[in-house]
Amino acid sequence: MRAWTWINERTGAGKIWEALFARKIPEAKGWVAWLYTLGSASLFVFTIQAVTGALLAMNYVPSPDHAHDSIRFIESQVFLGSFIRGLHHWGATFMVVLVALHMLRVYFMAAYKYPREATWLVGVVLFLLVMGFSFTGYLLPWDQKAYWATMVGANIAGQAPALGSYLAKILKGGEDLGAATLARFYSLHVLVLPMTIAVAILAHLFLVVWHGISEPPLKESNKGD
Amino acid sequence: MEAKKWHREYLERYQRLKEAGLPFFPNTVFKDTLVAFVIFALLAYLAWTKGAVLEEPADPTDNTYNPRPEWYFLFLFQALKLFPGHLEAVAAVVLPGMIVLGFILVPFLDRGPRRHPLTRPLGLGLGVVGLGVYCFLTWKGYSSPLTNPIVEKDPVILAGRRLYRDLKCSYCHKVSGKGGTAGPELDKVAGEETEAWLISHFKNPQQMSPGSTMPVLNLLDDEITSLVAYMKSFGVGSYTPEAPKLFAENCSACHMINKQGGDSGPDLSLIGSARDKNFLKKYVEDPSQMNPSSAMPGFQGQLTDTQIDDIARYLATLGQ
Ligand code: HEM
Repeated sequence: MRAWTWINERTGAGKIWEALFARKIPEAKGWVAWLYTLGSASLFVFTIQAVTGALLAMNYVPSPDHAHDSIRFIESQVFLGSFIRGLHHWGATFMVVLVALHMLRVYFMAAYKYPREATWLVGVVLFLLVMGFSFTGYLLPWDQKAYWATMVGANIAGQAPALGSYLAKILKGGEDLGAATLARFYSLHVLVLPMTIAVAILAHLFLVVWHGISEPPLKESNKGD
Repeated sequence: MEAKKWHREYLERYQRLKEAGLPFFPNTVFKDTLVAFVIFALLAYLAWTKGAVLEEPADPTDNTYNPRPEWYFLFLFQALKLFPGHLEAVAAVVLPGMIVLGFILVPFLDRGPRRHPLTRPLGLGLGVVGLGVYCFLTWKGYSSPLTNPIVEKDPVILAGRRLYRDLKCSYCHKVSGKGGTAGPELDKVAGEETEAWLISHFKNPQQMSPGSTMPVLNLLDDEITSLVAYMKSFGVGSYTPEAPKLFAENCSACHMINKQGGDSGPDLSLIGSARDKNFLKKYVEDPSQMNPSSAMPGFQGQLTDTQIDDIARYLATLGQ
């Protein structure tokens, strides 16, 4: 165990282990216990998205002239390319579903109550970021669906009172949906949103660990006994 | 303070429960890992068997494409259909905004110590109703024809658009500059015809335009209605800045538009709501052919065909 002592003394790994893995959790019994896995399931799918996304970015070209061709290249030439794209595609749907289910479990268990209000608020930010990923990612293949669905999205943003037309212009990077839009969405999808969500996830997990996971609500003993 | 009291009591009780609980590793980690494996298996299965679709490359000129929102947004599109006209645009922003605001407010509105859903009937009810409405709207959106509320509204027009594609009309006709050359460019001419003309023409092209090589399509009445709606959706082409000048030089001695001009002929400020462009063109060319008792001179020969066409387009927009 000399190696372990060496590492522990220099990194505090033992303390970290105690704080994260040896920490105790109020017991949840039966099927209810499985509802508590939805948050970590969201986290798991997020890592799948990060890995498959990084692999896709190795062959994708964010320009109107090449985006579609580069996806075709990924689908037909890259080793496991179509599988990886499939994972990223279905992963996006899974992410939305799991985050929504996680949110529902927190809602119906009222796990957002004192002292976990901030955890919930960071959760809402996470939800919006996930939607942002979905919206910006949809355009990248630059096929008919991508283009026209984004057009609708931009039009909806354009309806916003007062600032709408500016918002639409900022989204599109100009009057038209074109090269500038694609570059913008790509930057958001692979740089801005990932960095933001990484920070938000860390904050969320910190709060979860710090407050401790809420105990399953009981019908009687909960009125502040 | 009363509120602080239950806060303190909660923290104490939570501490007791936590100490009596089980360590995160291996209990929770085991469950989480199991779920992760199941999810990955499902994901890999879908990725392997279904993959991800790649449609035709984006074509910014093809505004006939009706985009399909992701299924989890369908509810919003369906909900927007409930708002008429102008309100729809407002709802497109206000509705999602209210949902997000609702999410943010949840922990501030529901603050008591009770957590079990059955002890919070309002929270439970709101949740269940919200979920029900979401599922219902998603299902409705799924089973009704896909219309895109912002780009295009009328399902009849969409049905016509779909028929246009299914019948391969683009083999001979152009719309938005795409298609064959044997027939006319439909978005330039078809919107200017009357509905009656279009209906008869779809039933028997040669009867309405002799010598036409367009085949008789044997369409059902419903199909004709859809196609006519689609044709009319092209609208009348726009007039050039010349048109109002031509009107001022040749017509305003007798006709008034918006209180400007003579009054020996009828006021034309609202003529577009009563007559379509083709009627107006024929009338300007030779009024006696449309109305034998008219005192107006014909302009065929006075003005070029393009100029009369331009004036007719201009008049057709008045009062619309
Ligand atoms: C990227 C998305 C998200 C990830 C990765 C994530 C992750 C997690 C994890 C791992 C937990 C631990 C307990 C559990 O798994 O149930 C948790 C708890 C929690 N999450 Fe999330 N979450 C996400 C989104 C959200 C959203 C959208 C909300 C609500 C708006 C939310 C609110 C909460 C709350 C209040 C807790 C504390 C629950 C308790 O202590 O019982 N989270 N989250």
